[in-house]
Amino acid sequence: MSKTQVIVGLGSCGIAAGAGKTFEKISQLQSSESLDFELKKTSCVGMCYNEPLVEVIDESGSYLYGGVDEERAIQIIDKHIVNHEPVRELVVRSDLFETADKEFLDTQVKIALRNCGFIDPESIEEYEARQGYLSLKQIGGEGISQEEVIRTVLDSGLRGRGGGGFPTGMKWRFAFKNPSPEKYIICNADEGDPGAFMDRSLLEGDPHSVIEGMIIGAYAIGATSGVIYCRAEYPLAIKRLEIAIDQAREKGYLGKNIAGIQGFHFDMYIKEGAGAFVCGEETALIASVEGERGMPRKRPPFPAESGLWGKPTNINNVETWANIPWIIQHGAEAYAQYGTEKSKGTKVFALAGKIKRSGLVEVPMGITIRDIIFKLGGGIPQNKKFKAVQLGGPSGGCIPEYLADTIVDYDSVNATGAIMGSGGMVVMDETTCMVDVARFFLDFTQKESCGKCTFCRIGTKRMLEILTRITEGEGQEGDLELLQDLSEQIKDNSLCGLGQTAPNPVLTTIRYFRDEYEAHIRDKKCPAKVCKALLTYTIDPEKCTGCTVCAKKCPVDCISGERKQIHLIDQEACIRCGECYSRCRFEAILIQ
Amino acid sequence: MTEQLNIILNGKAIKGKAGESILELSRRFNVDIPTLCYDPRLDPYSSCFVCVVEVEGMRGLQPACSTRLAEGMKIWTENERVRKSRKSAIDLMVSNHYADCVAPCQQSCPAGVDVQGYISLIEKGMYKEAVEVIKETNPLPAVCGRVCVRPCELACRRKLLDEGAPVGIDYLKRFAADMDLASGDPYMPRMEAPTGKKVAIIGAGPGGLSAAFFLQKKGHQADIYEAAPAAGGWLRYGIPEYRLPNDVLQQEVDAITRMGANIYYNKKLGENLHYADLRKEYDALVLAIGSQKGTLLGAEGEEAEGVYSGIDFLKEMEVSGERKDFRGKKVAVVGGGNTAMDCCRTSVRCGADKVYVIYRRTEKEMPANPIEIHESKLEGIEYLFLTNPKKVNADENGRVKSVTCLKMELGAPDASGRRRPVPMEGSDFDIEVDIILAAIGQKTVADFLEDVNGSGVEGELKVNRWGDLDADSKTLQTGVASIFAAGDGVTGPATLIEAIGQAKLASHSCHLYLSGMEVKPPKAPFIISRDRFKEQKPDAYQGQFVPQEREEMPTLPAGERMNFKEVELGYAGEEVAKHETHRCLECGCSEYFECDLKRVAEAYEAEQTRYGGEFKEYQVDFRHPYIEIDNNKCILCGRCIRICKEVVGANALGFINRGFETYVAPAMGESLRDTHCESCGMCISTCPTAAITENFLFKPGPVKTDKDKTICHYCSVGCELELNHKNGFVMRVKGSNGLINKNTNICRYGKFGYQPYNQKDRITQPLLRDGDKWKEISFEEAFGIIADKVKAVKADENAFFAGARLTNEEQYMVQKLARAGARTNNAGSFHYLGRGEGYSQSSQQNVPLEALGKADQIWIMGTRIQDEHAVVGFEIQNARVKRGTRLGVISTEGITGLEHKSEDIVRINDYYHFLKAVNHYILSNGLENRMWLDSNEAGFEAYRDQLLEEDFDDHFERAGSCCVDHLLGFARDISKAESAVLVFSEKELTANAVIELHNLAMITGRLGKTANGIFALKEKNNSHGLHDMGLDPLLLPAGLSFREHKGFVAKTWGIDALPEKSSNLLSGLNDGIFRNIFIFGEDPVGCAIHKDEVQAWLEKADFLMVQDIFHNETTALADLILPASFGAEVEGSFTNAQRVIQQFSPALPPKIIFDGVAQLAGILKALGVNGITSPEEAREEIFRLLPQQGTAKASLKPTPGDDGTRLFDYGCDDLTRRFEMAFREAFA
Repeated sequence: MSKTQVIVGLGSCGIAAGAGKTFEKISQLQSSESLDFELKKTSCVGMCYNEPLVEVIDESGSYLYGGVDEERAIQIIDKHIVNHEPVRELVVRSDLFETADKEFLDTQVKIALRNCGFIDPESIEEYEARQGYLSLKQIGGEGISQEEVIRTVLDSGLRGRGGGGFPTGMKWRFAFKNPSPEKYIICNADEGDPGAFMDRSLLEGDPHSVIEGMIIGAYAIGATSGVIYCRAEYPLAIKRLEIAIDQAREKGYLGKNIAGIQGFHFDMYIKEGAGAFVCGEETALIASVEGERGMPRKRPPFPAESGLWGKPTNINNVETWANIPWIIQHGAEAYAQYGTEKSKGTKVFALAGKIKRSGLVEVPMGITIRDIIFKLGGGIPQNKKFKAVQLGGPSGGCIPEYLADTIVDYDSVNATGAIMGSGGMVVMDETTCMVDVARFFLDFTQKESCGKCTFCRIGTKRMLEILTRITEGEGQEGDLELLQDLSEQIKDNSLCGLGQTAPNPVLTTIRYFRDEYEAHIRDKKCPAKVCKALLTYTIDPEKCTGCTVCAKKCPVDCISGERKQIHLIDQEACIRCGECYSRCRFEAILIQ
Repeated sequence: MTEQLNIILNGKAIKGKAGESILELSRRFNVDIPTLCYDPRLDPYSSCFVCVVEVEGMRGLQPACSTRLAEGMKIWTENERVRKSRKSAIDLMVSNHYADCVAPCQQSCPAGVDVQGYISLIEKGMYKEAVEVIKETNPLPAVCGRVCVRPCELACRRKLLDEGAPVGIDYLKRFAADMDLASGDPYMPRMEAPTGKKVAIIGAGPGGLSAAFFLQKKGHQADIYEAAPAAGGWLRYGIPEYRLPNDVLQQEVDAITRMGANIYYNKKLGENLHYADLRKEYDALVLAIGSQKGTLLGAEGEEAEGVYSGIDFLKEMEVSGERKDFRGKKVAVVGGGNTAMDCCRTSVRCGADKVYVIYRRTEKEMPANPIEIHESKLEGIEYLFLTNPKKVNADENGRVKSVTCLKMELGAPDASGRRRPVPMEGSDFDIEVDIILAAIGQKTVADFLEDVNGSGVEGELKVNRWGDLDADSKTLQTGVASIFAAGDGVTGPATLIEAIGQAKLASHSCHLYLSGMEVKPPKAPFIISRDRFKEQKPDAYQGQFVPQEREEMPTLPAGERMNFKEVELGYAGEEVAKHETHRCLECGCSEYFECDLKRVAEAYEAEQTRYGGEFKEYQVDFRHPYIEIDNNKCILCGRCIRICKEVVGANALGFINRGFETYVAPAMGESLRDTHCESCGMCISTCPTAAITENFLFKPGPVKTDKDKTICHYCSVGCELELNHKNGFVMRVKGSNGLINKNTNICRYGKFGYQPYNQKDRITQPLLRDGDKWKEISFEEAFGIIADKVKAVKADENAFFAGARLTNEEQYMVQKLARAGARTNNAGSFHYLGRGEGYSQSSQQNVPLEALGKADQIWIMGTRIQDEHAVVGFEIQNARVKRGTRLGVISTEGITGLEHKSEDIVRINDYYHFLKAVNHYILSNGLENRMWLDSNEAGFEAYRDQLLEEDFDDHFERAGSCCVDHLLGFARDISKAESAVLVFSEKELTANAVIELHNLAMITGRLGKTANGIFALKEKNNSHGLHDMGLDPLLLPAGLSFREHKGFVAKTWGIDALPEKSSNLLSGLNDGIFRNIFIFGEDPVGCAIHKDEVQAWLEKADFLMVQDIFHNETTALADLILPASFGAEVEGSFTNAQRVIQQFSPALPPKIIFDGVAQLAGILKALGVNGITSPEEAREEIFRLLPQQGTAKASLKPTPGDDGTRLFDYGCDDLTRRFEMAFREAFA
């Protein structure tokens, strides 16, 4: 019988929540009290909302504890380890009994994330123990040809998980068919969408699955060199990748005649991105790897024809690569059993925004958005009304509540005007102003435009100015038409995806929330009460106690009233800063 | 054979080439697609999105520049969607283009006079050209320069500085016009061919005169009918002489009649002139009748005697020619305009005791010129502001005795923006006066309507409700299609400059009418204005410009004004005017005539404010002495960045920031000076706007220039240049599509080395030494002196030197002067003096410039290629970028300047021994190319045997510090490379080193193969010509062997025999053998490495003649100086280092009567040798001498050891020396 294991989740999210201290505490207790258990590390299992997470596996089974701060750690060690009494009220998941969060994990199908939260990402042995590098060995051992590998990937129906949704097998085939003796493989880990952290979690939690995927890809297309282009803002991911690459090299998974395949030489390195969002675009990414300013260029030629250093190059994103070993090992059919007719397998989403259980989930394609938000995500906090969900980050669009039964599938999502994207899912409730949301995303893309194309550089700036003006109550008749017209032109006249999709949040919000725009423009009102310039602050005479706090805090002295008298706001002078509202202890400030 | 693709372009089936872009295809088929970010020298980039087209089946629109053709593509280059998109792209760009296309002065001028343009010409002393610019839009500059109300000066941005004093625009205009009139040859516009159409103009005031001017220019016959006995209208009859002398006015009238316009006086329409008659004779009519009738006060009692309309008062004096006698009288002038000023100041001059000006507002609101008010005060005028006459009081005789006035106060602003005066109740007071002059307005009298309309004409001539002629405000066409109207008669009383502007418009419409075209307003040019972005305020200008006080107008002292002499005296001289021009801030864009953005904006009717919003403001960067960066005008096409990277290789520029904040800036450090910038100006050449321009040393205008082509006179590459000049003053230089520089590339010499053309200290006449001074003598006298000197000594005591800057024709003539004239073979050049014979074959079998782009390896020997022969460097860098060509540098310099753009640098001490060692290694290891050697019979065995006898180690040691691996690596690379070119600089390699380099090329089999062989870099544009033209005691022209061909040459020249003896010129100089030295176009003293030595040679001679463009250290020693011409001023040819002969015509007007060939012909004639008189004849004679057989086969030549050293820098040329000094100084 094996030793009791205590595993602490040490992904970025866990560390941010204090898992480092938790780990230290446990370790301290272990040595000071000479406790006999194995203390291990793992990464994020996806329940970011419950971090720090500590899993205890003893002979009875597995118990995942949530929100384990130092105090709780002492409690768990004391009760569970020393006294063998699991602290049931702190368990968020267990295979022994029902927990409130059971649904969160049970609804998921983990393929890309199969090892995240289950292994120590810094240990190649643990990866190998869970069938890691088996696919590669299988290819070598059984002499599976390049064409066969490509065929399997093609048959699995796997499509690019970076957002483009291009069939991965087809992309590989183009690169494979190019006779060039020199080819490259790139892993795009330049995750940049606000609210997205799929790649980070995957790289932190299971770097080897990505590396193995790349090695298989390299074999399939005939590449000799690989690059992982990772954001410099992901230091933990980079560190773990470095460790993993070294380990893989040591074990001969990288290098010469890999897996016993004669003539298959392949190695890879990490290139840290400088933080430009546009470098997620493949031609800009290639320019950046080459040491140039990350600026996209016109395609064709596609990278499969002329990519890094002018050589045929295959680029896939982190999640796509992580799926590869599983597909090779389990076969195309096993993968294709999940999903819809045209979108096979699973998809990882990062749930963020106004949602109870924010975190990382992997679901089979075909699940409805409503299920993701309500079954997995647990719905909206404080029982507010669900309004919309932003899919695909700044390149995507808003799907309104009434379309929440849309299934997750490339074509169904595209039909709404949003895009699948790389998996960012930002949930909004009734307190979100959709004009403000559009403005937020456009502000992002506008700032992240590389500045090359006229329409993207100046056009998005002009759109932003119009949106800002609308949220400031300066909207004019014709603004919506101007926005739509500019949007269409920007989409038509930009070299890369950034510009071509930048207007999407604006277009979808106009499409689904036109009345909200019109309220801003015509009635000078913000229905969600977010746009400050459009709010009117008044004092409820019923509630005002005349405490004078609001008057004292008002930066423009526009609130008058004697002590213990009902106060009054001078609407002419009010600058709508909201200071009074946040200061009033009697809820006497009304916002309209 | 390129693959052909079937393409449908705008519905037409055509063939495209595989790999071609839509833009390239369209250009091939003459389908115009606008673009801003494309430059054929660079890889397509696609950022501007102006070149978009629609391609069937492709999402969105496609940038034509980077979309490659595919089989079956259907392309539409011009449809509504495409046009809309292009316009939007341009609208977006101009919404963030914080700049002024034209200056506010020009924009505010009703006639649109190009102020900035003429100020720039005045700066250069080009007054006639300035008047030419003014007369584009204003035919009366001398008049306007005196009496214009100057809206330009109100708009002048200099007002934001120097305590609000604008540039003296009008003073400058007057100065230029007066200078032109005084020149004896005043400007006469070029007129179009006569059209046979005739136009009658009614009225010879400013409107009528201007209309006549503009119509004559268009080729129409303009006849003016004037009711008065003289021309000028109110200019003559309203403005007193002390402001506008009649003779000045008359000179400008005469300038118009000289153009062919007629003026018939004392003809008044409707009285003694009838429209019915005019109609028969003329095709159109322009009514420029003015506002003739003065109005009175509109106050009670104004019928009293002594109350006059001011304008009638002035006119009567002019007509009668008699001065009124106001002595002992008090005069009140009512009004605040310029007529009031003329009345009050005239009254003073008529002797009035007291003159009042009564004006109902304050001085601030007065429409009169402030200077007039100022002068009137000096002359003793008393002002009664906020005062209005209410009633004129007459005495018993009905004569004025006093006027009752009311005090006023200012109320709310009225329609004119001025505060309306309101009477103060009970403020009445009386002033005693004898005379009242009402200067408060005029009225149009159109009393000929019946005469016109009753003539049976179609349509109707009408007046509007103010009594002015009714005409379409946009075309000035009246109700009768053939009748146009302009000036005060249409607008009511206005200004001179408005009348001129109106006449221009009416003439334009009239011209369209006469040409049978639709009469429509001229298309307004697209103009971006900073004022439309935001109000311009002083703080943005202060500190950016040097403060400089305005040059005020000198005037007659107040005490000397009791007469009608002109009060304003004009600027005192050219220096004053020039100084004032420096105050011009040059608000308008220097690239106005060149800007691609403006061109497309105009074509697509772009709007600056359609996408108005935030715009970026940047400080202009002037820190680089030659290159100016103005990010305000940048459209981020990246062309500058790309050309600097892909072609120049300096990588000096880059993008900073992202999104809307993106801008272009020097890649490293703050200033371009801190980068690898080579100051080549290639960024300027590619900028489609004016974001990167030349940092001009003078005011560039901009003005319209002539564009003439010439061949660069600096290095030996032979680039064609386009000189943009105004009557010989070169404003800028651009690369042209030359025979050599096919892609328009030029370097800093060509681009910035044009200053000498504009220098004023040229030698233009022969100068004979007269003690310490120079005496100008005639050319004939000079030729005679030279001939006498030549004849006075023994033939071989004469020596002749020709410079490598001279044309082939000039060089040939110098040589002929020596051999046929002076009968000596002492003909040579300082350029090659003492440097052996090895260079004569430098140019043979050289690879063409474009072949560099096809080479696998290029090796440079002698390293300053990026400075001295940059265009070759561009070709090499581009090959590195496009083809991956490997560049190796072999250099004796520690820092080559090529570190950042080469693959390999081999540092050595000595080229000759390095090459010997390499050749030795190749031969001793059997690495030579036998195949080539066997088929070329190049004397291989002899060469090998001799070389292998020499000691490799010795050569290796003397070659210098490079390690053996480097040397051997080079030897192996050069033997094995598929294609390799050896580029070398004669300046740094000795003649024998060059021979060994040739030997290397031969033993490795590189000669005669594409993208293989030698590329020579010579110091001067026509260095090679010296060899070909026989400037060598041992060589005859065309490389003829002396021994074999001396008879043939003598016969061709028509002389008995050629001189036999050939001596060494260097020893001749050392030994002081030459009693006469004649130097044509070289500056051996100024360019000498050891000056004293060279100076001593020349001092040994009894007589030194030097021909050059400017005075220099060599001319300083001369006894006789001849003036020289620039290559760009003459006809002739240069032979470049590739031995390409390029013939050219004069690009600039000559500044010297006798050019080089003519001078030499003159000297030869004086020596009794007749014949050649022109470059063309010289060329013909050279061709007659050309050998019949082809060039001798290349053969290996052993060299005994290294030879002569270089004695001169700068190719021994004063011009090159000057540019290099100026360049160094600029960066110091």
